[in-house]
Amino acid sequence: MLNRIQRYFKTLLRQVPTGNDGIARITARQIYILPTSTGLIFGSVVLLMLLGSLNYQNNLGLLFTFFLVAIGLLAMHHAWFNLLHLAIQVRGGAAVFVGEMASFIITIRAETQRPHYDISIHADTATSLPTSGVLIAGHQQSTITLTLPAQQRGLLPLNSVRIATHHPMHLFRAWCYISTTATTLIYPQPTPHAPPPETDAGNVNRPQQRRRSSGVEDYLGSRPYRPGDSPRHIDWKAVARERGLVVKQFGSDQGQTLWLDWSQLHLADPELRLSVLARQVLDANHNGVRFGLRLPGGVTEPPAQGAAQVHRCLTHLALFNGR
Amino acid sequence: MIPFIKRATRPPIITTERADSTAVLAMSILVIVACLPLLRFFHWQITLFLFCIAALRLISWRWRAALPPTGLRAVFTLTGIANCLYSNHTLVGLDGGAALLATMMLLKLLELNTKRDLRVLAILIGFLVVIQFLFDQSLLLALYCSLIVFGMITLLLELNSSNTDTNDWKNSLRLAGYFSIQALPIMLCLFLLFPRLNAPLWNLGLDSGQAMVGMSDHMEPGAISELAVSGELAFRARFEGAIPPVNQLYWRGLVLWNMDGRRWSQLATTGAFTTQIEIMEKPVRYDIILEPTQQKWLFALDVPVTTPTTAQRNTDLQLLAPNSIDKVYRYSVQSVFNYRLNEPSAARRALGLQLPYNVTPRMRELVAGWRQQAANDWELVQQGLAFFSREQFYYTLLPPRLGLNPTDEFLFETRQGFCEHYASAFALLMRIGGIPARVVLGYLGGEFNALGGYLMVWQSDAHAWVEVLIAERGWVRIDPTAAIDPTRIDHGSASQLLNAGQSARFHLDHTNVFAQWARQIRVLADTVNAAWQNWVLDFSAQDQLMLLEQIGFGAWKEYGLAILMLITVALTLGLTVLGLLRQRPLLTPLEAHYMCFCRRLARVGLVRQTYEGPRDFGQRVVKERPELAECVNRFLAVYIPARFGAQTSDQLVNQLAQLMRHFYPHQSLLQRILTRLKNTNRM
Repeated sequence: MLNRIQRYFKTLLRQVPTGNDGIARITARQIYILPTSTGLIFGSVVLLMLLGSLNYQNNLGLLFTFFLVAIGLLAMHHAWFNLLHLAIQVRGGAAVFVGEMASFIITIRAETQRPHYDISIHADTATSLPTSGVLIAGHQQSTITLTLPAQQRGLLPLNSVRIATHHPMHLFRAWCYISTTATTLIYPQPTPHAPPPETDAGNVNRPQQRRRSSGVEDYLGSRPYRPGDSPRHIDWKAVARERGLVVKQFGSDQGQTLWLDWSQLHLADPELRLSVLARQVLDANHNGVRFGLRLPGGVTEPPAQGAAQVHRCLTHLALFNGR
Repeated sequence: MIPFIKRATRPPIITTERADSTAVLAMSILVIVACLPLLRFFHWQITLFLFCIAALRLISWRWRAALPPTGLRAVFTLTGIANCLYSNHTLVGLDGGAALLATMMLLKLLELNTKRDLRVLAILIGFLVVIQFLFDQSLLLALYCSLIVFGMITLLLELNSSNTDTNDWKNSLRLAGYFSIQALPIMLCLFLLFPRLNAPLWNLGLDSGQAMVGMSDHMEPGAISELAVSGELAFRARFEGAIPPVNQLYWRGLVLWNMDGRRWSQLATTGAFTTQIEIMEKPVRYDIILEPTQQKWLFALDVPVTTPTTAQRNTDLQLLAPNSIDKVYRYSVQSVFNYRLNEPSAARRALGLQLPYNVTPRMRELVAGWRQQAANDWELVQQGLAFFSREQFYYTLLPPRLGLNPTDEFLFETRQGFCEHYASAFALLMRIGGIPARVVLGYLGGEFNALGGYLMVWQSDAHAWVEVLIAERGWVRIDPTAAIDPTRIDHGSASQLLNAGQSARFHLDHTNVFAQWARQIRVLADTVNAAWQNWVLDFSAQDQLMLLEQIGFGAWKEYGLAILMLITVALTLGLTVLGLLRQRPLLTPLEAHYMCFCRRLARVGLVRQTYEGPRDFGQRVVKERPELAECVNRFLAVYIPARFGAQTSDQLVNQLAQLMRHFYPHQSLLQRILTRLKNTNRM
């Protein structure tokens, strides 16, 4: 019942819609503002000052009280203005495994000349942390990464984020809700160990036994880092030389092909099967063999190798829902 | 296990924002500075306690180990409260409350852990400032406190900005200035239009018993010379029309009848004014703005012919306010200098002849001698004045101490005194001679303030004179002090340093440059003070209603005021906010130099077109005005790479500034007119 009421009130909330270009622009009627606890203290002290000055007919006291009243009023307007004309774009971050922190990349742009101070982002879930405030100069943009714990495989949606500010004096808090459609892909959590996949019966022309670790020893060259690359392959020495994130590429034997097959695992829990498969994908990639993936419902990933293949396979596992 | 998966690590949770030490130091200094002006009203024990806590705070900023732990802080708090209780015997009331607030705020300085603590303390500074104004409302304190409030706003801004990228005090100061300027018009609207209370809601015992410099209700030797060394203002007078000559300005205060041998005092009861004054000239009209005296009497030129609306006039032509004056009081009066008063009743006559017990035989002898030579009362008065002029009487601020019979000792032994000695002795001698006499206390003269167009009357202008009753002339004013030979004025005494030179008692020429300077500074300071008094401190509900009437909403009374206030505040706020929206972008120094370059060329008719870049514009300028080629080319040679090149340095900007300093394209007068015409035509 309470939930329903809450949900009903949520529908009443004004949210900043995301436009066709994927950018949400904050306009005047979408900003909420309330005093903070400091603001309430400020208000009560000013009220006390007002009463005292009026009572003692102390004009100088009144003058200073009214100055603080004016500052309070201005603070309210400045807080409100601080959110106005911000453009926000929310994108899902790189895919992560269950148990890791999923990230969303939020780009905030000031659409006018005014600088915007102390802008922070909150996800509307209890588990997320607010980011600390950033300053966005006029016509500039700033990128904030919001992290959420990944608890379930699949697409993690971020339905709504709050963008808030305490500028200028922490007396008022202005915020608005940004409705987004951004998602981050969450892979199933790999089991710590997995049985080596059974060799495919249909694959008879395998020329030789696979050699463990041979694939990681043939150094081919390096290329820039892409999300999803194994940290093992990162050229850390290059990082130390400030050449940026560079990944070493290793060649491997072309002859080996491994099929990772759902039907070959004899486990009751489908989630566990997916986890084992995820581990097998990682192991196979680590060993540098060509591998393919077969899932029920006709989902098949033809054999290939490399980071892209890992991502494709893990995506299938993450989004698998046929049973 | 393959270390592919990093264990998910959450960033550490920050529940409370820690206060950084610079902010703590700034806060401490601000609180201490805000407490300083209050110290002079505090008991010395409270001052000592506050000083210790402040010292502890400053020491522990340097050495953190000195910061007391929680238990000790609790002990300090209890000690502080006990100290306040012990010194003031109360925690409420103005003195008690202010002492407690200051103690608690300083103690809170020892416990500034979070930003929230800092914010709350900063807000409380506002309260401390307002409390100070209940003690003192001078302009100087107001300026001091506005600096404190500015600091408080800067600190609040800084506290909020330090969790962003810009941990910059300069930025916070700039923002605070920006906010203050925006707040001023709104403050003004609220101040002018916020409905006031006419009577206090409650009274927390605002201390009115503070020692006030001013005239007392009796006169004894030394009473007025005490006032003469005071630098306080008594009242200001604004005349309609010309100001009468300074030696005519006898400001009548109170009339003393009873002499007990040492002191003169007032009659217990005096009836309302009933007799008629014969007015022989057009009355002088003037307004008086009286400083608080804590007494009821008002001052008016000798003699007042009208009564202020709120006051009464008694038989002695004294003006009395209904209540004692504890804030600045304004009234208007009319006076005449040439007049004749009706004969008083026989009872009054008898009162004016009362003699104290200590009239000595030699006093009687003196008067008897005069009586023999005088044909009538008036001649006796002249004899008395001649006596003071003839004998070696000295006028001094520092007379010798007088014993049990001051009048006798003064007349025959010391012969040095101030106006109260002369007035007292003269009145007594007249009474001995059978002429009813009374002493009048008031002020004499005043200093004209040319800036403000009013007369300033200082406490040091306090004076005493005598009125004697002459048949067919009524009460006549006699100033025995004026009878003293001006050569016998003691220039060495403090009177010279203060105001006696300016005072109308004696006309002395000021040749001393420093004294003149001091005088001019005093006049300026009083003008500022009077404006402050008039426009800020005395602004009242009546003024508001008058303002409302002038606008034409007089019938609406307080509601009109409230509505008007809401409308004007909303309008001002709206305008401010609109101003915020259309803020012009700030130019970088480089752009500013280029704008300046273009502006100076535009002045000589070379207006840059919007489609022209700096190079095209420069080429056109060179073509039209070849003599400018060198300057323009040199400027552009620096500007173009600096603006569009990969890097800009301060050095380049400085170079541009250097070039701009000497870049003033000239144009002949004829050309200038032609350009002006061309420009206007284009518009």
